Amino acid sequence: MTRLGFVHQALSYATDDGFVAGTADFVRDGLAADDAVLAVVAGHNIALLRDALGSAARDVEFFDAVDWYHYPSRTLGRYHAYCTARDEGGARRVRVIGEPVWTGRTAAETREWIRYESVVNAAFAHSGHWIICPYDTRVLPADVLDTVGRTHPEMASGAAAPDVRGPYADPADFYAERSELDRVSPAPLAASGAPRTVAFTRGDSVAARLAVAEYARRCGMAEDRARDMVAAVHEAVVNAVRFGGGRGVLRVFNDSDWVVCEVADAGGGTAPAVRDTGFLGRVPPDPHAPKGHGLWVVRQLCDLVTEDFGAGGAVLRLHFRR
Amino acid sequence: MDTGPALRAVGEMRPGDHLFHGYATEEEREAVLAAFLVDGLASGHRGLLLAPAQTPPGPLEGLRERLRRQGHDVADALADGRLRVRRPSADPQDLGELVCREAEGTAADGLLGLRVALEASQRGDGAPGGPGDAEKLLGPAFQVLPVIGLCQYDRLAFDARELAALDAPHHGRVVADDIWQDELLRITRTFAPPGLALRGEVDDSNLTAVARALRAETRRAAGRAENPHRARVDLRELTFADVCALRLFVFTGLSLHALGGGMVLDGVAPQVRRVLHAAGWDRVPGLSWGEEREEA
Repeated sequence: MTRLGFVHQALSYATDDGFVAGTADFVRDGLAADDAVLAVVAGHNIALLRDALGSAARDVEFFDAVDWYHYPSRTLGRYHAYCTARDEGGARRVRVIGEPVWTGRTAAETREWIRYESVVNAAFAHSGHWIICPYDTRVLPADVLDTVGRTHPEMASGAAAPDVRGPYADPADFYAERSELDRVSPAPLAASGAPRTVAFTRGDSVAARLAVAEYARRCGMAEDRARDMVAAVHEAVVNAVRFGGGRGVLRVFNDSDWVVCEVADAGGGTAPAVRDTGFLGRVPPDPHAPKGHGLWVVRQLCDLVTEDFGAGGAVLRLHFRR
Repeated sequence: MDTGPALRAVGEMRPGDHLFHGYATEEEREAVLAAFLVDGLASGHRGLLLAPAQTPPGPLEGLRERLRRQGHDVADALADGRLRVRRPSADPQDLGELVCREAEGTAADGLLGLRVALEASQRGDGAPGGPGDAEKLLGPAFQVLPVIGLCQYDRLAFDARELAALDAPHHGRVVADDIWQDELLRITRTFAPPGLALRGEVDDSNLTAVARALRAETRRAAGRAENPHRARVDLRELTFADVCALRLFVFTGLSLHALGGGMVLDGVAPQVRRVLHAAGWDRVPGLSWGEEREEA
C-alpha cells in the first residue's frame, strides 16, 4: 500500500507474531516502492523482523532502540537529520518503525517522551514520511498506553492486539493539556548543596556563562558537555532577557543523577503561542527561518528540558545527566 | 629583552616610534599606509611619503588614489601640503638630512608633528637596510618636533634572515588596526588570504560589531577582481558564538551565495560546530568549512 503525505501510526501488539504481522509487510511495501526503511526497535524485535524479512533485511537499516532513544528532543533531531539526509529533498519517502524505550524512565522523562510522540505529528507534518510506532501491551504501563490514541492519528492495520485507540488530539491541544498536568506534578529534584544563583540582565550574559562553566567544572562534567551546558544556558538567558522583561535569575544545582540549570524570568512578555515557537523548540526549524533556532538548539544540547510558561514568568529547567 | 618583535597596531603608534611593516599584499600595504597618514592629518601632523618609484599617474595623484581606495578623500591635504611625496636618497645620511629638513619645514608651517612613511617594495631599490639605525634617522628630527616613522616592505620578497636584518633598526612591527576590540572579542582584518579573524567570544553584547564587520567584508569581497563575493573568516581563536551570531554568518553566506560566491569558515571550534549542526546550518548553501581545528 502506498499513500502520500505524512503517516504516523501506532501498532499495539501482545505477541511476537503480532509485532511481525504489523511490521514486515510495511517494510516490504516500502522496499518495493524504493523508500528508505529504518527500524529502531527493541533488540529481540530486530531478530524477529530480520527472520521474517529474510534477504530483504539487507536493505533495511536497523538500530537497537536503547541506542537511539536517549533523550526526546535529541532523538527527534536525529530522526530529522536521518530523514533529511535520505529524502532527496522531499522526493523520497522514509519509512520508520520507531519503538521508544519506556522502561527505566523517571516520571519527568516519561512525560516528555509522551509529549514527543505528539510533537512528531507537527515536526513531520509537511514531509511524506511514514512512521509506525510499536507498543508492546504486555509490558508497557497504563499511563503510556492511555496516551497512544491521543498522540497517533491512526492505528496500523494488522494490529490484532487490544485496541488502544483514543480520540486523537491536535499537537497544540495535547501540548496544552500536558502542560497543565506537568504543572500539577513538577519534576522533583532535591538539590545537594546550595544552588549557585546568578542574577542577569540585558547585555551581561557572560556572567551566566562563566558561572555555569565553573559549576560544570566543579561537578566534574566532561569538557564537551560543559561547553554544551554553557551554550544552552546562554540561549535560555538571552531568551529570558528578550521575552521575559530584560532580566532573570539563573540557578544551578545538582543531585546524584543530574545537573540542572534553571533559568527564570519575571514575565512581562506575552506567553508564547506554542505553534509559533515550534512547540517551544521541540520541532526542528527551517535552517533558513529568521528565528526559532535558539530553543531548538537548547533542546539538542540538553538531555531533558522542562518548562513552565505561566503568567508570572517563564521557568526553563535544563537537565544534564551526570 | 623581547625575544620576538613587538606588534603594534598602526593606530597605536606614538611620537618617536620608528616601526616596520612587512606586508603581504598591496591591500595590506595601502590599509596601513592610509591609517598612518590619515591619523596624522587628524592629529595635525604633516604626512611625508618617501616613495622610490615615481609611477604614473604621478606621485601626488597616485597617493590620492590609494587613499581613496581606502575610503579617504585627501585632496585638500595634498593641495595645501599637509601630505607630501618626496623621492628618498639611497644614502642613509642624506635620508636623515632630508627628514631633518622636512621636520624643520613642518615646524615652521605651524604643524604639530611629522609622519614619515618610507616605501620599499623591491630588493635592491636602495631603501631596505638603508635607513640604518632608527635613532640616527629620526633622532635629530625629533629634536625639532614629534616625528613618527613607518617603513613598509614586501615581506614575501625577503627570507626570514633578511627580514630580521630589516627589522633590527626599528622599534617593532606594525600591523593593521583591529576592526573591533572589547573585553570579549577582537575582530581583525586579514590580508593573505583576505578576510576577517575573530578571537574570543561573540554574544548578545557585541553582535552588532560582528554584523558591521561582516557587512564591510561583504563589500570588500564584492570589490575584488579575483574571487569576488567570496569571504573567509578565521575562527581558530573564537571560543564561543551564540545562535544569533551564527545566524548572521548563515545569512551573510546565503547572500554571498546568491551573488555567486560564499563564505568559508576556518578553524571552527568543536563546540561551535555542534551548534551549527544542531541548527541545521551545516547544510546551508553559501557556507563552507575550511581548515578544521584540532581539539586542544
